[in-house]
Amino acid sequence: MASKKKKSAGQAIGGFFKAIGGFFAEFGKAVAKGDFFTKLSLIWMGAGYARRKQYIKAIIMTVLEAAVIWFTVAFSTRYVPKFGTLGTVKAEMIFDPVTMKNIMNDYDHSFKILLYSLICFVVWFTFFIIWIKNVTNAYKLQLKAQNGEHINTFIEDVKTYKDEKFHITLLTLPVLGIVIFTVIPILLLILVAFTNYDQNHMPPTELFTWVGFDNFARLFGGGGLSSTFGYTFVRVLGWTLVWAFFSTLTTYIGGILLSLLINNRRTKLPKLWRTLFVVTIAVPQFVSLLLVRNFFANGGIVNTFCEAIGLTGWLNDIGLISTSYIPFLSAPGWAHVMIIIINIWIGVPYQMLIATGVLMNLPADQIESARIDGAKPRQIFAKITMPYMLFITGPTLVTDFVKNINNFNVIYLLTEGVYTTTNQALANSQAKEVDLLVTWLFRLTQDYYNYKMASVIGIMVFIICSVFTLVAFNRMIKGDREETFQ
Amino acid sequence: MKFKKVLALGLVGAMTLSLAACGKSSSGSNNAGTGSSDETNASGETISLVLWGAEEDQTLLTELVEKFEATYSDQKFDIQIGVESESTAKDTILTDIEAAADVFAFSSDQINDLYAAGALADIESMESALTTYAGKTFDDVKNANGAGAVEAASIDDKLYAFPMVGGNGYYLIYDSSVLSEEDVASWDSLLAAADTAGKKVGMTLASGWYSAGFFYGAGFSTSLSDDGKQTVCDFNGTSADGYTGVQVTQGMLDIAGNNAFMAIADGDGSNQLASGQLCALVTGTWDTANGKNIWGEENFAATKLPTFTCNGEQVQMGSVDSYKFIGVNAYSENVGWATLLAEFLTNEESQAERYAQRSLIPTNTAVASSEDVASDVTVAAIAAQSDYAVAQFVTGNYWDPMKTFGEMIAQGTLSADDEAGIQDALDTMVEGVTAISE
Repeated sequence: MASKKKKSAGQAIGGFFKAIGGFFAEFGKAVAKGDFFTKLSLIWMGAGYARRKQYIKAIIMTVLEAAVIWFTVAFSTRYVPKFGTLGTVKAEMIFDPVTMKNIMNDYDHSFKILLYSLICFVVWFTFFIIWIKNVTNAYKLQLKAQNGEHINTFIEDVKTYKDEKFHITLLTLPVLGIVIFTVIPILLLILVAFTNYDQNHMPPTELFTWVGFDNFARLFGGGGLSSTFGYTFVRVLGWTLVWAFFSTLTTYIGGILLSLLINNRRTKLPKLWRTLFVVTIAVPQFVSLLLVRNFFANGGIVNTFCEAIGLTGWLNDIGLISTSYIPFLSAPGWAHVMIIIINIWIGVPYQMLIATGVLMNLPADQIESARIDGAKPRQIFAKITMPYMLFITGPTLVTDFVKNINNFNVIYLLTEGVYTTTNQALANSQAKEVDLLVTWLFRLTQDYYNYKMASVIGIMVFIICSVFTLVAFNRMIKGDREETFQ
Repeated sequence: MKFKKVLALGLVGAMTLSLAACGKSSSGSNNAGTGSSDETNASGETISLVLWGAEEDQTLLTELVEKFEATYSDQKFDIQIGVESESTAKDTILTDIEAAADVFAFSSDQINDLYAAGALADIESMESALTTYAGKTFDDVKNANGAGAVEAASIDDKLYAFPMVGGNGYYLIYDSSVLSEEDVASWDSLLAAADTAGKKVGMTLASGWYSAGFFYGAGFSTSLSDDGKQTVCDFNGTSADGYTGVQVTQGMLDIAGNNAFMAIADGDGSNQLASGQLCALVTGTWDTANGKNIWGEENFAATKLPTFTCNGEQVQMGSVDSYKFIGVNAYSENVGWATLLAEFLTNEESQAERYAQRSLIPTNTAVASSEDVASDVTVAAIAAQSDYAVAQFVTGNYWDPMKTFGEMIAQGTLSADDEAGIQDALDTMVEGVTAISE
């Protein structure tokens, strides 16, 4: 199993293209060598099946083909031809006092055109694959018939989906879900990044259209956008990466230390402690983070306490703060550190649970022999526990990092409405020092309807995350490290 | 048909699933915006309308809608009332105009964005319907309401929404057991008196709504460019009254630097009021009940905003005239009846009913001059301040730079002696404010 996994990325990509090539080669062979009915399958998809007496399949394919043709004629023709311009007719209305209604012209809705065209493309692409597959299947049936092999009845075919093709049965629903809820929105997001869809071009009243790579040029300083957008992007990206690094690192280390502590022989009532920490997971973050935000507000309970014990005055004296309160969540620096610290409390329980699971499965023989050899607990931790831990939890570390890049909840709930930037350059681009790319993007879409720039930022986040994940996973799985622990 | 929702899913949802919980789903509606509607209005047809109003107004709206249905009893109606706060109406409507309510209440600061997105119906084009059914012309509507409200509800001298509630701006409320009428005349005497009493005076500086009052008072202005895509703002120059932006900023810094001044985060006024440290607060009608609770009914007082020191002179602080309007969705299927409903909800009787039930100050001059309303202490303060209040026309790009500028003053990042630094900050702020919206 290990050797199979050790394919390099290059081989994987090569293999992918080879598979596509094979797919089309098979199709070419089927068309070239197929008999009349196989060739007829090119036009009437049920032909091949009907000839081999698989009538139900033939009907299904015919109905599918008819449905797609009907879909194309009745639905696609209304949107796809306008895809090139995203519409040209603006909405106009005249009030008719007799009917008490507005008489509307047949106006174009750019967003509908974009979305429905995209759906059409996805449907057609899927249909194209099925169409090719159908012809190769017809050819396979033809070969079987020529060789006198048994041809499955419909019932038998259905049964195979319960047995040897069970993986297809299982995967259909998840794949469908991914296509509808992930692939189409992401494709849509990518398309919007190449349009001028913003506050001045909002359907249904206004139209938007294609602008090529303009928005990407703007992000990096070109174009007429507010002059600080590029500056803001770099600043926000910087904090996003710093945050992702520290929040991942602190919760990871904290989680391991906590679970070691709880699992220590001398710790009494380990189950109680573990339960207590898990409680923080059970309370919704909405509640706990908003509470914490209020605790640390400028006029909050922590500030009142600090003032009472003289901490605020002392900080004032040594010049760390210039305000009559400690700006826990309202000044740069302070807020950055506080957010990471508060996140430890939110994130550690998860890591603790993972670490506990791993620690319980430590190779006992190795630890035993190390102990016999006279290794100290610290050496055991550094040489056995930690490497083992890192190996097992490496992949989750990577996903945690990516998750933290997009950790909307913690940042938004802790700083929205509390943090006001004093950096004018950031303010001119609607950002703050504590914004992650994802919270900035949220504000751009939610408050400023700047969908095009938000899409560009979304693509950048996607690229950053996917490159990081690919590189990190590739590094981690590379080499013979798996055998080290077998 | 939540197309933008799909995009939002791609933008954010694809990256963070947890966000889905934040999304506010606008309630469904039955107006299909597809193509031309060439069906004729059969007399028996039921007119379906969706009306959005604030949560606190629901009972009132239900009663008013019943009255509306009774007034036009020849016509069958199916009117659904949904909850949508006036302050967030714009965000929900612009998410998908075609799925938004036919008639909706909103705050006056949203009128530009709603107009720019084409969400507001051209109600004046429906004058014939108004005349036929309600026996009114739009001139009647304009004359019935205060001039300021009509100006704020108009774009290019054309009415785009019906004025509903006035006095939504800010003024000074204070504890008359601590401060005298003379004390509250100027910021200097106000802060001195508060300091003596060991109390504080609160105001939100980090908001382009409140802090603009200093600039408007000194004769500065904001307006929209001809194409409506830009804010025109002269805060970094010299005002019509001859004051410079630097001088105004210095005046604000003097106030913010005073020991008795408390800079309040936007929306935190009520909390600070409840903490009992304040003896005066710049706020609006929404804190009336709060103030009466804290200071006692008999000690609660309200007045126009104080003067502030600018270039050695006393300058009366301005403020922003703010209202609540009722608008009609341009893409409403029954736009004519929607307009009639909107008119009905804001006519004299409805405004009187609204004041009686909700104590919301009417824009209708007849109702406003009635004895009940005129004797209201907050109404007197609003009337006194209204001479110095201006209608604020700005684009979305105005708010963040102004908020940051106010925060810089509140935190003392700027120094009153550093005129070049203040000018720099003003220039940067105006650059952000006047950026072309997109």
